[in-house]
Amino acid sequence: MSRSPAALLLLALWVAGLVAAGAVAERHLSVTSDLRLFLPAPATSEQRLLLEGLGEGPAARVLVIALDGAPPEELADASRAVAENLRGDEGFRFVANGDFALDEIPDALLSYRFLLSPTLDTEVLDESTLRAALVARSRDLASPAGLLIEPWLPRDPTLELPRLLERWQPTQEPRREFDVWFDRAGKRALLLAETRAPAFDPDRQRAAIERLETSLAAVEAGGVEMTISGAGRFSALMEARTRGEAQRLGVAATIGMLVLLLIAYRSFGPIVLSVLPLASAGLAGAAVVGAIFGSVHGITLAFGITLIGVAQDYPLHLLSHRRRDRTPREVARDLWPTLATGVASTCIAYLTFLFSGVAGLQQLACFSVAGLAVAGISSRFLLPHLMAETRRDLGDSLVLGRLWQAIMSWPRPRWAALALAAVCAGTVALARTPLWDDNLQGLTPVPASLLAADQELRAELGTADLRYLLAVEAIDDDAALARVERLEPGLAALVQRGAIAGFDSAARYLPSAARQRARQAALPDSAALRASLAGATATTPFRSDAFEPFVADVERARALAPLTRDDLRANGLGDRVEMLLRTDSESGTTALVTFTGVADVAALRELAQSAGEGAALLDLKQASESLVAQQRTRILWSLGVAAILLAAVVGVALRSRERLLRVLAPMILATLVVVATLQAAGVPLTLFHLISLILAAGLGLDYALFFERAADDPPEQRRTLHAILVCSLSTLLVFALLATSSLPVLRAIGLPVAIGVVANFVLALLLTTPRKPASGHALATEPMVARDLRA
Amino acid sequence: MSVRNVARSLLLAALVVPAPRVLAAPDSAALISSLKRTAPATIAFAEARFSSLLREPLIVSGELAYGGPRDFERRVTQPYRETTAIRGDSVSVDREGEQPRTFALQRAPELRGFVSAFGSLLAGDAAALERAFTVAASGDAAAWRLELTPIDARARHRLRAIVIHGSGAEPRCFATLDTQGGGSVMLVDAEAPVSVAADASLDGLLAQCGAE
Repeated sequence: MSRSPAALLLLALWVAGLVAAGAVAERHLSVTSDLRLFLPAPATSEQRLLLEGLGEGPAARVLVIALDGAPPEELADASRAVAENLRGDEGFRFVANGDFALDEIPDALLSYRFLLSPTLDTEVLDESTLRAALVARSRDLASPAGLLIEPWLPRDPTLELPRLLERWQPTQEPRREFDVWFDRAGKRALLLAETRAPAFDPDRQRAAIERLETSLAAVEAGGVEMTISGAGRFSALMEARTRGEAQRLGVAATIGMLVLLLIAYRSFGPIVLSVLPLASAGLAGAAVVGAIFGSVHGITLAFGITLIGVAQDYPLHLLSHRRRDRTPREVARDLWPTLATGVASTCIAYLTFLFSGVAGLQQLACFSVAGLAVAGISSRFLLPHLMAETRRDLGDSLVLGRLWQAIMSWPRPRWAALALAAVCAGTVALARTPLWDDNLQGLTPVPASLLAADQELRAELGTADLRYLLAVEAIDDDAALARVERLEPGLAALVQRGAIAGFDSAARYLPSAARQRARQAALPDSAALRASLAGATATTPFRSDAFEPFVADVERARALAPLTRDDLRANGLGDRVEMLLRTDSESGTTALVTFTGVADVAALRELAQSAGEGAALLDLKQASESLVAQQRTRILWSLGVAAILLAAVVGVALRSRERLLRVLAPMILATLVVVATLQAAGVPLTLFHLISLILAAGLGLDYALFFERAADDPPEQRRTLHAILVCSLSTLLVFALLATSSLPVLRAIGLPVAIGVVANFVLALLLTTPRKPASGHALATEPMVARDLRA
Repeated sequence: MSVRNVARSLLLAALVVPAPRVLAAPDSAALISSLKRTAPATIAFAEARFSSLLREPLIVSGELAYGGPRDFERRVTQPYRETTAIRGDSVSVDREGEQPRTFALQRAPELRGFVSAFGSLLAGDAAALERAFTVAASGDAAAWRLELTPIDARARHRLRAIVIHGSGAEPRCFATLDTQGGGSVMLVDAEAPVSVAADASLDGLLAQCGAE
């Protein structure tokens, strides 16, 4: 193939442009995997909490770490070493292993211990309490740990501070061995680490996980194995697996495509040429999304790239329709009305996503419209200049001619199309599979085994059940804390009855000012305390003046202003309270009560109702399902509008109701076939399936348009048959490979498109039949489908 | 005599039978290696705890069990029951009338120093002892004195020294002295129960240990 210098210059410019655009995109485009981009804006406070929690919330950022594979003593050592290594690390907000040191508490907070601890709610600091404490302390002092405890005794003979610190541990304190958390069996040491990075930032999550792993390696604990679990870990893992599998499948698909195109066109030139519009489409899509949104969602990118399926067909049509008696430019001009109809109608269908109110879908719309437009326009106006004149005209192909005749001889009973539609509708109606997958997890498919392991670890650690939350609103922090305190007896009764295993609230760490004052009032004055101490020391071996620092501390506590959230925050202890006490500038403060081991939801709901105005039991699972349902409603509305617009565009282009029906019928039927097949196979539909259906419909529309165009011209029929065979086989190859993936996302894209391509190809051949028998063969194939559909 | 009693007698005999005598001069390494004991072994103890917080010393007695270099038990039987088991770096405490507790030696460098000193002595491991302590020996074979000063700064913060008195291959007294002028003195005897007078003083007990 020889080309003019002008053509070579164009080729060079095009390739250079692509390389430059690729470099810019690489540098400026950041890929995010924040799932919230694919969910509608929250409408209720439940949904808002859910979305906050999904990525940024503390719950989503907490990784659970298990250390395994060595005797408990060694695991405890490794746990301490890992926590020590990570303390102060930039990647983590906190690392907890159950260990706490008395000297970590700032001195400013020490005197507050009587105000924060519930001891004084039930006990009095009188002689008998003190005597019991001093007897225990004398035994502590005579034990091997005596040396350790002695410095604390004069100030804290009741050991109030350690008691308080223990109370600040998780509600259901995990088993504690050698000062660190263990699972119930005592076989695995457990740690919690909260990352600074949100869960849906796979790169930073991966960095955090690597730091965890190196912190263990630094310990040189032989045989100790680390298991890390949590949303962040999953996001890093799934990103890596998706990337790896997409790459493997991509290589396989590329090799398959090369072989297919070589067989189809018998030279390398067309293969190179067909890549150009495709690459342009991908880069244009990414560039437009990057320019408008700043970053591209991983899902958008994945779908955008599967546009290969549609955009690649444009150059293939051009290549297959080359003929000896026309220049490539003339061929392109001939094909353009059909091609343009396909491009315009698909673009319009995608444009409806712009109004879906879901950011991820808007990205997808921009990506697709830009990509398809660039692929279509470059195939029409740039590609023909690069194509050499051909000696091979597929219109002469005897094989294709015979194939076409064979296909035309297939029986086409009138009722078949309607019967197929009825069978599909019946399958959907009768299938036991739910039509829609309402589980938000369906969008972030993490293997079930990993999720189960995560659940198990979290249960061992007694971390809160994330489904139910009790939200209590009040005008400010203190009022919210007081309201939660009033609920405590009711909640404690629920624990007693076994309705819940435990609960946690900000009031556990920070009592309301009123409660702190009540405890303050219960503290004895110096004279009374000295008298009680004198009595208690008289019957124990302690000196009567040994506890003067304690007397001074209690006296100080009697005069303290109640501790506030700001005081806690200033002393680096505010994290827990921040999670459970949310201040909103408009509506005041919402205090959250979290639960473990919820067994009786009705009892909880009753309690919430009895708490009065502004208290509600939130069900985050229901919130997530309602979000998914809203998302689906929006997509379905978009699809409905898209279908009407698409029909209008095709109708205007074809200017005939009969032709319109012949083009649209295969596409509609094929979509039904795909939905019915998925239902029969027990696959409920997710967002991914819906978007894939649109992709398949776009392909089917193109097939039908081209078959319809070639209706009356036998050589052109052969060229079209060739073009659509190559198009559909290449698309089938790519998506059938995706359908074999072990990853639910890739499978959800691959399966519907693969089925859709086959269905669209076969149905387009059967339903978009020529008005007259081809090549004078006596095949009475009247456009019965059109009649059928009208009937 | 039951099998158990025979075994017990044999154990006690093992403790009593002296190791070869190489104690002409207070050579600390030789002295320490002569203190080696074969596990398992049990020995009676009485301990007095002195502190500036206390009007009178706390006195407890019971037995010590040695199960190997990193395995001890301290069983208090008088005036209350309490078992402290130290295995490796892990401590569990079971006291009558209270929930059993476990904690790690890591948290208590002072305690760790004491335990490692004890372990190294009973293993006759002079090198291990000298990694954690400055060791000074004095006296003669009939009445020797070992003074161990912790090297680690954090341990030294609370623990001034551990002083061990003994005769031949038999340690008699373990004194743990803190930096506040307090401490504890533990008297051990492989043959007979030991006791400490209720009105003992730290200095008096130390003098008594040195005199024996």
